[in-house]
Amino acid sequence: MGSGDRSAAVGGFYTVFRHEQHGLFGGLLLLNRNGRPLEFHCTAPIKPNRAQEILYGASLESYLHGEAIGAALLAKASAPPTFVCVETPAALAVREFIEAPVAMIVADAQPEAEDRPLFRVDAAHERGLHSVTFGSRRLALAKRFAADEKPLAEQLATLPEHFDLAEPFARIRGAIEEAQRSGR
Amino acid sequence: MSGHEMSGRDESAGDATLFLRATQELSANGQVDVRVNSLDVGLGGVTAESIAVESWKPGIASVPIRGDRLKVRSFYFPQTGGWREKFAAAQGAKSASPAGDAKSPASADEASPKSAAPKTATRIAPPRDVVKLEDRLYYVLQPPLESVFTGGALEFPFTPFPYQFEGIAFLYPRFAAVLADEMGLGKTMQAITTIRLLLHAGEIRNVLLVCPKPLVTNWQREFQTWAGELPLTIIEGDQAKRRWQWHQSESPVKIANYEVVVRDRDIIDDDGLKFDLAVLDESQRIKNRSGTTSEVVRSIRRTRSWALTGTPVENSADDLVGIFEFLQPGYLTPGMKPRRMGTLAADYIIRRTKDKVLTDLPPKMFRDVEIELTAAQRETYRIAEEEGVLRLTDMGPGLTIQHVFELVMRLKQVCNFDPLTGESAKLERLEADLEEVVAGGRKALVFSQWVETLEQIGERLGHLNPLYYHGQIPSPKRDPILKRFKEDKNCPVLLMSYGAGAVGLNLQFAGYVFLYDRWWNPAVEDQAINRAHRIGAAGPVTVTRFVAADTIEQRIDQVLREKRELFDTMFSDVEPSSARSGLTHDEIFGLFKLRSPQGPIKFAA
Repeated sequence: MGSGDRSAAVGGFYTVFRHEQHGLFGGLLLLNRNGRPLEFHCTAPIKPNRAQEILYGASLESYLHGEAIGAALLAKASAPPTFVCVETPAALAVREFIEAPVAMIVADAQPEAEDRPLFRVDAAHERGLHSVTFGSRRLALAKRFAADEKPLAEQLATLPEHFDLAEPFARIRGAIEEAQRSGR
Repeated sequence: MSGHEMSGRDESAGDATLFLRATQELSANGQVDVRVNSLDVGLGGVTAESIAVESWKPGIASVPIRGDRLKVRSFYFPQTGGWREKFAAAQGAKSASPAGDAKSPASADEASPKSAAPKTATRIAPPRDVVKLEDRLYYVLQPPLESVFTGGALEFPFTPFPYQFEGIAFLYPRFAAVLADEMGLGKTMQAITTIRLLLHAGEIRNVLLVCPKPLVTNWQREFQTWAGELPLTIIEGDQAKRRWQWHQSESPVKIANYEVVVRDRDIIDDDGLKFDLAVLDESQRIKNRSGTTSEVVRSIRRTRSWALTGTPVENSADDLVGIFEFLQPGYLTPGMKPRRMGTLAADYIIRRTKDKVLTDLPPKMFRDVEIELTAAQRETYRIAEEEGVLRLTDMGPGLTIQHVFELVMRLKQVCNFDPLTGESAKLERLEADLEEVVAGGRKALVFSQWVETLEQIGERLGHLNPLYYHGQIPSPKRDPILKRFKEDKNCPVLLMSYGAGAVGLNLQFAGYVFLYDRWWNPAVEDQAINRAHRIGAAGPVTVTRFVAADTIEQRIDQVLREKRELFDTMFSDVEPSSARSGLTHDEIFGLFKLRSPQGPIKFAA
């Protein structure tokens, strides 16, 4: 169902999820404005070693999500996305490695939010999130990059009204599972 | 970067307790240089060898933190132009949008807001025979089908049912597929929508759709409804015109009936025509593998092959072999056990039944009405059967199944009308029932296998202004008849032959179906019934099946029941204990308690 040229890529959707056995998998999906896939990049699983856990301490999560996985994935994109959506605060750290807004999707209702682990955006930087709302879309930026609000709004305005920013993450998980299956 | 001092117990290390005095610096190459002043316990995960501690002077230990470069797999998906781009290129500047298509939707990548957000998310799952990971991911990463409908990229007249989304998701990635939904579930719409999506995605460029002749206008109408922007070419007319139409490249979809395809086999073969997708509607037409129709459609050069049928198996499991010879030659073989065949074919076939997916579809109620023949009919029947059986018996080794069929037909006709007196017990009952139907303001379909029978019924029911729809009515006159039946309150009865009225017609405004006589296989009867019992039916559909008591009709009814069991064996998880693999020649001869004088005789419905 894909069509249109690659330069039409606008959205990067980046997520990291944890596999009990293998560790962390990262996936970056680039979509055109109609939600069709242009590129997909995924990492081999990564497990922080003990030294990393100790020496990075509280900044480990943002290091892994930002520099270790996110930056490696973005480096493979044939063209940088004009914005990136992420699912967790830790992944906002990828903003350090791209000159485009990075926003976390905030679900309308998060009944499971209390069960989720808390993340620090980046121990080395100012903590906190900057919440933004564009129509029915609720997002959050790293406070340090609150100025991204305007360019982000401009990018989101180009999307169809019903473009569901949360939906592509399910595709990424499905794709990584498919890749895992094929690797067995 | 300036270093900072680490000292004492690191609580964040969890169960590892670490006592050290050190300074760390992040170096430009990404390593942490740890200058160890004193080390009391080994660093968890770091071996003693990796930290060279010199006790007699401050030591320097370099702990690799980042490890190897993270391996990334990348997939880049082809972005081909859709049908519209090709069409536009062919047309030049004049075709910014297809001519005469006022309500043409925007191109697939030109979105506009649309109605309510989807409630379900139907994803395309790659079939088993797609092996390359890149190809599989291409499908896995597609957006849910519902987003195509609500996203405004393409316009659709109605939102499909969830099971229809599943059907589209099934067809989309498949190069060989059978859409075998029960009649009335919208196979046509599912096929058209999938074709439309594939065309707009640029995955296919030209499509050949083959269907029975009476259904050509139906397909044309459905394409206008579900894919109004796609120009169609209907292959028809004299040979020169057809040759031009076959080569016509400006419309991505060609529709031809089976007879035309057979007639034009030389054009298709010799001119090297090739299609990205060939779709066979009512694909049971090619169940006979040795038939000319089967041979010709199998020779069509194509990349993808789909078969649409509500009855993948009509008489025996080998019917499915015939269809697969078109899809995947050699994959199924004659004589395979039905259960094995069903298992092998599972990834290629999708079949849903109304009771499973349309729980809100009005119910379909059956009335099996046993008719006692009139005295005159009974006498005529008795003589005909006794004389007929005697004649068959006397034929000895010359007896063939055709002779048996002839007798069956003759007896069935007597069950309908007594040829001597014109009496008909069935007609008396039918007339009474129809009076009631019409009095209630409802409409009814009456099916028979003989045009003559329909005419006899029509004469008697003249006061109800019955309309006729059968094979002897020229195609151009058929649509107006259906229109009149739908719109004219004074025409509440449509008399139809199984052959002409069993497939593809949407008559869901009729609440009653009468089967005046029984067809040879239940699939055809189901097709007839489902003209009325389909999506859009406003109320329950009542099906009345007439069976003359103590006649050949009752014996045939028993055979039909057994065929249904065969179907269940192949397409359900529960194997009925008495499942049969089809009719044997002994069973056919058994209709008259005859013994077969020769070897197996192929049964042809």
